[in-house]
Formats: sequence, structure tokens, C-alpha cells
Amino acid sequence: MRHFLVMTAFAFIAAAVFGTVARDTAGDRILYGLKVFAEFMVIGLALSWVLYFLPW
Amino acid sequence: MTESEYSAGSIQPWIMGTAGWIFPGAGHMLQGKWARALILGGAVWVCFVAGLSMGGHLFSVSGMDQGISSLLQVPPTIANLGSGLLYFVCWLLGVGLADDPVHAARATYEYGNTFLLIAGLLNYLAMLDAFDIAAGRKP
Repeated sequence: MRHFLVMTAFAFIAAAVFGTVARDTAGDRILYGLKVFAEFMVIGLALSWVLYFLPW
Repeated sequence: MTESEYSAGSIQPWIMGTAGWIFPGAGHMLQGKWARALILGGAVWVCFVAGLSMGGHLFSVSGMDQGISSLLQVPPTIANLGSGLLYFVCWLLGVGLADDPVHAARATYEYGNTFLLIAGLLNYLAMLDAFDIAAGRKP
């Protein structure tokens, strides 16, 4: 659970910064931030399942 | 002061960028971009403090390491230096820089390292954003 919370915090912080610096309008920033957050979470969870099955 | 008041080749963008690097959020604060300063500066501060509280390690090139080991310290040191004053305050206080086996044994040690590295790298992005705003390249 701790790992998931840390990953979520990381995704939130990075998405907030990426969303703020990468777009020009408020709506675009929020949408882009949400997209980046979702990408971090989905890719993080997918990678964690892939690594779970690796024996070393 | 608005972006349009800065002329091409002005020193103002460099000052804003440097201020943003030294004190995360300051580059935007000085330009009256309070929301951006809060989000970007806040993200860097939270990331850095979270990294330290998780027992993360700040890198430095001390000259104690030999050969390739010394070179491997350079990239993470550059990333950590992005935190500006936060890094130097920790350096002066001796916080987070020592190779402490107690910290290294913590379950969150690597998370802490990552948060500290990312805090510096995010602040480089924030610094460039402050520079671009001052140069009139961004609204």
C-alpha cells in the first residue's frame, strides 16, 4: 500500500508540473495534467505486474 | 511587470530564471504569476521535503571516489543541484549527504532518492518556464 501511495504522490507532483509548464490555457493544462497523471499510474501499474512475474 | 515590457536580449529573463533556480517558485512570484509559483514551487518543495523525509540521499562530487565511480556521481549531482537553495541548505547543515547505512536500509530509501532527484529536475523545468515567461515566449 505504501508503494502505491508513493507512486500516486510522485505521479501527482510530476503531472502538476508538466501540466503547468506544457500548455497555455487553463483548460488545456488541466486536461494535460490529468492525462500525464493517468499515464504515470497506468504505466506504473503495468510495469509492476510485469516485474512481479520476473523471478530475479 | 508584464512580458511585453521585456525587450529581446534583456537580462530580466536570466534574473527570473536564476531566481527560480535558487528559490523554487521565486521566478514566477517575481513576475506576479502567483498560481504558477504556488503549483511549481509547491511541487518542488513538497517533492524535496518528501524525499528527505523518506531517507533519500543527496549526491555530491566529493573527489573521494575513484575513476568511473566519481563520474557516476555527476549526473545525479546535477539533478540534485536543480533544487537550488534547498540543496545548499542541506549541504551546509549536513543533512542527507552522508552515506548512512541506517538510512540506506529503510524501505523508502530509493523512493527518497528518486523524489530528491525529481525535485531538482522539475525545478529546472520551472526555471525554464520562468525564463520563457520573462522573455515573452509564453503567456
